[in-house]
Amino acid sequence: MEDLFANEIVRAENLKKTFTLSRKQQRLEKTALNRKIAVNGLSFSANRGEIYGLLGPNGAGKTTTLRMLSTLIKPDEGDAYIMGHSVRKEPQKVRDCVGFLTGELKLETFFTPDYLFDFFGAMHGVEKEVLAERKRELFARFGIDAFAQVKVGDLSTGMKQKVSLVVSIVHDPDVVIFDEPTNGLDVLTAKVVTDFLLELRRMGKSILLSTHIFSLVEKLCDRVGIIIDGKMAEEGPLAAVCGTTSLEEKFFELYHGLKGEIV
Amino acid sequence: MKLVALMKKEFHRFFHDPRLIVTILLPGIVIFLLYTVLGNIIHTEESRELKVYLSGNSAVVGLLEQQINESGDKVEWLPLENEEEARAAVKEGEATAILTLTENFDSFGEGARAGIVYDSGSENGSYFYGLVSSVLISVGMRFPIDVQTVNDSADIGREILTALLPFLVVTFVFSACMSVTLESVAGEKERGTLATILATSVKRSHIALGKIIPLSCISAIGAASSFLGVVLSLPKLMGLDATVLVGYSFVSYLLLFLLILSFVPLIVSAIGVVSTLSRSVKEASAYTSVLMILVMLVSIVSLVVTQMGEWVIAVPVLNAVTAMGRILGGELPVWQSLLSVGANLLYTVVLVWAIAKMLSSEKVMFGK
Repeated sequence: MEDLFANEIVRAENLKKTFTLSRKQQRLEKTALNRKIAVNGLSFSANRGEIYGLLGPNGAGKTTTLRMLSTLIKPDEGDAYIMGHSVRKEPQKVRDCVGFLTGELKLETFFTPDYLFDFFGAMHGVEKEVLAERKRELFARFGIDAFAQVKVGDLSTGMKQKVSLVVSIVHDPDVVIFDEPTNGLDVLTAKVVTDFLLELRRMGKSILLSTHIFSLVEKLCDRVGIIIDGKMAEEGPLAAVCGTTSLEEKFFELYHGLKGEIV
Repeated sequence: MKLVALMKKEFHRFFHDPRLIVTILLPGIVIFLLYTVLGNIIHTEESRELKVYLSGNSAVVGLLEQQINESGDKVEWLPLENEEEARAAVKEGEATAILTLTENFDSFGEGARAGIVYDSGSENGSYFYGLVSSVLISVGMRFPIDVQTVNDSADIGREILTALLPFLVVTFVFSACMSVTLESVAGEKERGTLATILATSVKRSHIALGKIIPLSCISAIGAASSFLGVVLSLPKLMGLDATVLVGYSFVSYLLLFLLILSFVPLIVSAIGVVSTLSRSVKEASAYTSVLMILVMLVSIVSLVVTQMGEWVIAVPVLNAVTAMGRILGGELPVWQSLLSVGANLLYTVVLVWAIAKMLSSEKVMFGK
């Protein structure tokens, strides 16, 4: 099993997820159907030491896919394997080797970054000495050390995002899954985050990120999957997907092909 | 280790927030002050002059006289010659009570009985009855007193006190549990901080226990504060001597303590289930209010219905309330109390298991 996944760190096979819509959601979505297929037969793979980008518009199914990969929710059909562990059958093992960052997961504002780092380190079973060393490194790397004893509620948005980021990778995971990692950040903090993702790649980590920002994919990603309406419209190495066009042109070409002209 | 870290987090959250500490301790302090002030307004501190018809003699009489004198009150012992006349005098308010003690009373052997006739509507009568009860318990009496009241109207004496206390305990325990559990479980779910813990590899059962154990400890502190507030001020409010509550044996207090101790995690877990199912603190508060009404109704049943079968042990809340009522009434229902404690702990385990299951449920945790 180990050999099979030696290079292929993440493999999604025909993932499908359907949600039940409330009446209010039906009105908002302008549909009479009470079910919505968020992800529809999605398959892709990401390799060790690569950054894989899931690109798509809002509501395409990017976040739902990442939530399935991080075991927060279960696929209705299909399965995904992280480091060879099934997200359906071995969620505990998957959580041990994944660091997940999304706006949906919040930190308690009452606690300090110092306390939260130690707490989540304990949640992942990190040894105390290792944890202390890792805290020193990451806090210095992100400039959190000066704010280590300030309650999260009193930190700026950028600093909160940095704290969330370091907490999500407290256990030094092999796979890092980031949902819209630069959303809502100022240019300086966004730069710190993107530089860190590149650094993680250099360290041999595998990174999966979702975004709707073309430039971010072009700057960071080795491979890209373009999701439209829960389906994988195109997937592969960035250069192969784009060909001679830009990513933006390629995306709209696919989008128009599937959905018609934007009104 | 993960469980310990989860528990420490809850304690840290509570003990490092002065507002939460005040929230949990304030009700007890307010109750004590309020009841004491009310009691002082209602019951003036004039010294009492008691007239008691006495039949039989015992060392207990000396103890009673000593306590009455120490309180600055006076007692006149009248020989019981004609019971009908004495009863009429008690009913008319000319005498406080009739106390009958059998000849072999001090031996506490077979046939040793104590009887009291008093006017339950009279403040002095209730005071004397409370005093007799506490003195008899303190000397180690193991059988109930034969109690007769000459007044069938509202019984405001010790019987109400002992029947009311379990109900008040339940109410205060529930309030204490509610204030901490809603915020910790439903609050964390609403703010998205619980999901962050769910993304780690910690077991769901550890998350559930990591909430219920510390929250039960914190709630127990709040419940103890409210309970002490009531216990210390209620005799004052009702015009009874404080000795009515200090005359119980160590075993009685131990059983009361165990019952409350088993009751707290049960309530915390029940509110925990409601909070886990709810999407917000507001929604959880609404559901918990319904739960509180149900719990209070069950407690009231025990006030109204005095004779209940053995099945009561299987009913959460009711089992603890009836056992507490019997203990405060001077009995020692050891088996009922222990079985009730066992039943409550069993229900708690089931509820914690249910919370762990819900934490694993995508629909419960992430359903919109």
